[in-house]
Amino acid sequence: MKGAHHLVVQSAHLKYEMDIVRNITIIQGDSATGKTTFADMIREYVLNGSDTGITVSCDVPCRLIEGNTWKEQLSPIHGSIVIIDEGNKFVASVEFAEAVKNSDNYYVIITRESLQALPYSVTEIYGIHSSGKYNSLEPVYHSLYRIYNSKNVVQGSYDTVLVEDSNSGYEFFSGILGDKVKCISANGRDNIFAILNDRDSSERMVVVADGAAFGSQMSRVSDAIKRIKGAELYLPESFEWILLISDVLNDKEVQRIVENPEDYISSEDFFSWERFFTHLLVSKSNGTYLKYSKDHLNKAYLQDRLVEKVVLRLPDAIKRMLEKA
Amino acid sequence: MLNIFYGDMKDAIYNTSAYFKFNFDKEWMSSPEVIQMIRDVDDSEVLGSGAIDSPVLGIIAPVSLSGGVKTLILIDKVPDKVFNASNCGDNCARWLLRLSEEREITVNLRHLMDFGEEPFKIRILNNNEVVSNMGELNRIAGGYV
Repeated sequence: MKGAHHLVVQSAHLKYEMDIVRNITIIQGDSATGKTTFADMIREYVLNGSDTGITVSCDVPCRLIEGNTWKEQLSPIHGSIVIIDEGNKFVASVEFAEAVKNSDNYYVIITRESLQALPYSVTEIYGIHSSGKYNSLEPVYHSLYRIYNSKNVVQGSYDTVLVEDSNSGYEFFSGILGDKVKCISANGRDNIFAILNDRDSSERMVVVADGAAFGSQMSRVSDAIKRIKGAELYLPESFEWILLISDVLNDKEVQRIVENPEDYISSEDFFSWERFFTHLLVSKSNGTYLKYSKDHLNKAYLQDRLVEKVVLRLPDAIKRMLEKA
Repeated sequence: MLNIFYGDMKDAIYNTSAYFKFNFDKEWMSSPEVIQMIRDVDDSEVLGSGAIDSPVLGIIAPVSLSGGVKTLILIDKVPDKVFNASNCGDNCARWLLRLSEEREITVNLRHLMDFGEEPFKIRILNNNEVVSNMGELNRIAGGYV
C-alpha cells in the first residue's frame, strides 16, 4: 500500500480524525485520552458493521488484530489499515516485525514501548488530543498530535558531530568537516544513547540520525538530550534524503518524488522510508560518475560544487562548524 | 518504596485490561484511594460499585475505565502480582509514588515513565540500585528499554 489515508471514525458521541501517512504509526501518551476507545470502535465496526451506529470513513478497509491468534487474523488482511491496541505483547516481537516487512498493510500500533525491531519514523509517533464533552451537541472530537518533531533546525554552537552510521553518511560529514571539527560515528542508532550518557558534559554535540527509522530510540535519546545540556538532535529522513533534496543528481523526477514521498513508497517494497531513499539514490545514480553506494562514499560527492548544494540544506549549526573547518 | 523492573519480566501480567475484566471485585470501587485515582486520571466520578460517570463516554462500567487507571487499581488491590505499568501514562506516575509511600510496590515498566521533578526513592530491580531523581533513573533505565 502507498499514499496518505484520511480516516474518520464516528459514533453519536465520539469522533476520531487522522491521516495515516506511513506503514507504521505509533499512538501513545497519557492514560484516558481515548486510545483504547478508538480501537474498540474499530473492533465493533468490523464485527457488527453499521448496526453499531459507528461510521468508518477511509479509502481502504480498517481492521483490528489482537491476542495470541494475531497471525491467523492478519494472514487474510491486505491493503488495509491494521489497528493494534495496547496490551498486545506480540508488537515487540521479531516475528511481528517480519510480518510488517513486505506487508501491503499500514499498521497503527497503540503502545508506549520502544519497538526495537520496527523501523518507524520519529514524525509518526502521536498522542491523542480531545475536545468537547459527552452530551453536548457535537461529538467529543479526537485528533492526533506529533509527540516529537523531526528537527531540522539546529541553532546552537557545537564542536562535535556524532553521526549515526559508520559508512557513507559518516564519510561525508567527516570529509566536509575536516580535521578541525571532531566528527565521530556511533556505529549504529542503538549506541547513541550510551554515547550521550557517557560523554564529557563540556563537549557540545550535534547528533545526526536518520529520522525515518529512529522512532524506537527517540524516547531515551530525547530524554538524554534534555537532561544533559549541550547536545542537540538533527533528524533528517536519512543521509540519502539530504543528498536527494539537495538536487545533486539534477533530476526533476527525483524532486517530484521527495516532495510527496508517500505517493511513491510502497509498504510491500520498503520497510521504511530510509530504505526507499537509499534505493532511489542508488538507482538514479547508477551508470553515472555519482554512482552511490551506502557502504563507501563515492568521492565525487565531496567535490566543492556538490558540497555547496548539500550545505545549503544543512542546519545553521553545522554551517557554522564548516566555517571553522 | 517503588521497585521497578525494566524490560521483559517473566510472570509479570502484561495485558492488565484482560486481568481486570475477569478479576474485578466490586468492593474495590468503595475504596477512597480508588475513587480519587479515577477522579484524577480519568476525570470521572464513581457513582456506585458498577457505574462511573465519564465526561467523554457518559455512564460506564468499571471495565471501561482507562487502561492506566485499571492498572493502578490492580497494583493497589492485588499486591501478590506484578503488573505491566507501561499501560499507565505519565499522568499515573504520581499515583505509583503515592501507593509506594505506605508499602513496597513492584511493577514492570517497558518504557521511560516521567515521575516528575520532585525527589523520590525508586529501586531499579535490574541492578538493585536506588535512585532519587529522573536524571539518575533514566540514565540507568534507558539502557534496559
